[in-house]
Amino acid sequence: MKNEHRIENFLYQEAGLLDQPNLDQWVTLFTEDGHYWMPAAENQSDPLNHISHVYDDRVMMEIRRRNFVHPRASSKDWSIRCSHLIGNIRVGHQSANGDICVTSNQHVVVWYRDEQRVYAYRGTHILVPDSSEDEFKIRQKRVDLINPEAPQCSLIIYL
Amino acid sequence: MTPIPDRNLDALVTATKAHRSIYTDPAIFELEMTRIWGQAWIFIGHESQIPNPGDFFTTHINHNIPVVMIRDKEGSVHVLHNRCGHKGAKVVEQRSGNVRGALRCAYHGWSYRFDGSLLKVPNETGYDNTGFDSKAPCYSMQPLAQVDSYRGFVFATLSASAPNLVTWMGGAKDCFDNLCDRAPEGEVEVAGGVLRYEHACNWKFILENLNDTMHPMVTHESVVKAAQDYIATLPPEAVEQRREAEIIPPFGASYEKFEDSGITGFPFGHHYDGGKTSIHADYSVDPEYHAAMVAAYGEARTREIYAFNTHNVLFYPSLTIKCAVQNIRVIRPISVNKFIVETWSFRLKGAPESMLQRTLLYSRLINSAMGMVGPDDLEVYRRTQEGLASPSNEWVEFHRQYGRDKVLEDRIVGGGTSDLDMRTQYGAWKAYMEGSIFEAKVSGVAQ
Repeated sequence: MKNEHRIENFLYQEAGLLDQPNLDQWVTLFTEDGHYWMPAAENQSDPLNHISHVYDDRVMMEIRRRNFVHPRASSKDWSIRCSHLIGNIRVGHQSANGDICVTSNQHVVVWYRDEQRVYAYRGTHILVPDSSEDEFKIRQKRVDLINPEAPQCSLIIYL
Repeated sequence: MTPIPDRNLDALVTATKAHRSIYTDPAIFELEMTRIWGQAWIFIGHESQIPNPGDFFTTHINHNIPVVMIRDKEGSVHVLHNRCGHKGAKVVEQRSGNVRGALRCAYHGWSYRFDGSLLKVPNETGYDNTGFDSKAPCYSMQPLAQVDSYRGFVFATLSASAPNLVTWMGGAKDCFDNLCDRAPEGEVEVAGGVLRYEHACNWKFILENLNDTMHPMVTHESVVKAAQDYIATLPPEAVEQRREAEIIPPFGASYEKFEDSGITGFPFGHHYDGGKTSIHADYSVDPEYHAAMVAAYGEARTREIYAFNTHNVLFYPSLTIKCAVQNIRVIRPISVNKFIVETWSFRLKGAPESMLQRTLLYSRLINSAMGMVGPDDLEVYRRTQEGLASPSNEWVEFHRQYGRDKVLEDRIVGGGTSDLDMRTQYGAWKAYMEGSIFEAKVSGVAQ
């Protein structure tokens, strides 16, 4: 169970950085080959040959976190606040390379542009245990919205 | 809806300005749906979305009229009103799919062939000697007034008096040719799904923005700076990272660069910026793709195809395409302050998969609701929608380089930072709204 508690805590910590939001620190949770993926279709198997709402590698995360706090980004003139609620955390088996697959249900309430929105998704984290520091890195965070095909409003924050 | 006298409509648009009510008045929106969207050729879909008999795709031709595009058993593509000939229920409810045999209404089971003709009415004897004529078109799923396609792009119009599709497209047609010629096999197909992006503002703002070359360096300054700042941190060996990040800085191109790209306007409101050059001109060419192109066309023709470099072309009012990127955006109006943008990506047949992946990367970064460009565009559209509630100034102006537009036989050309795009589309807006669009010789081009 110890490992499961550590994983739960890691997910809470990650969500906490998005709630603030603190993208500069959040980006550092990812491995150098890490990805954040929000598919645009149900059961989407391919991030490269099918469109996604977002599929960011570290290059795009680096650009996005800089843009997020840029004073001339008009869509960011509005403050954004999030509240993640995480449940149904399931820790899968460790794969041969040591990665751990963790799934969770996440409900995120987002306050942006004088409007409150609710997003619900199944999260899939591929975590890389980092024994030296007793924590994890994220190789991939996949966000499967319950409504991936629906028209989406501007979303300027990672969920 | 309060009827608006035509003389008032005429006063809403001049050669250099538009009245703010055209963005905010629900009655004008309703008229636009009838007079612009009800007369123009509207983009429905691409033939590759329905490759097999019985494949269908549903959409709306304006804000509320449901239509279905379907392929029949002989391979022909039809665009039908999605309305049962009996009591009016929509016959096809799903967005896309395949039907076997016949279309069948979920209410009383009337069934239709894929060309829309009535196949069978259950318990038919009840209609004997009632005057009901099962052959009458009104009991079928009726085709749109005109349906045609160009290089796989299917359009339909509710107007029987619209000129044929090729005439209506005019010189803007070259952009479809260029998009398809960029495929070594000369054909494109829809690939990789669709993005739908909700815009809480009037549908015309996005059309005005396509070739508004005075906005990118302002609206998109932050993402350009963010990309440049990041690129500056990269060591020389980070070639891949630099290549990936280079998709963004062209959005911050200078006024001079945009001025050089030029804007070209056509009858019926179509226009593009670029031609000789555009902000997409400096993207590096994939060597494997280039080899496939040269094998198909030869070196000279390949260079000619690349050299026709437009940024955005608008087929007014429903479709904009990016030839050099191979994606399209489709406008689907909902109400006076709401519309949906669909972004579809295309595979160049005969090109390596890396080309489709590049297209999808572009669509994600630029056109997604989670992109780094689209949300800043939408933010300024919404501010415009809200700002225009102010009665302090009744007009939105578009004077830039007015009087300098050069009128050629079939088109008007002007500087890349001119408001020629505005004058072109609002000339068409006015002619559609007045009902004169299909009468004037070079209708739609205001001077």
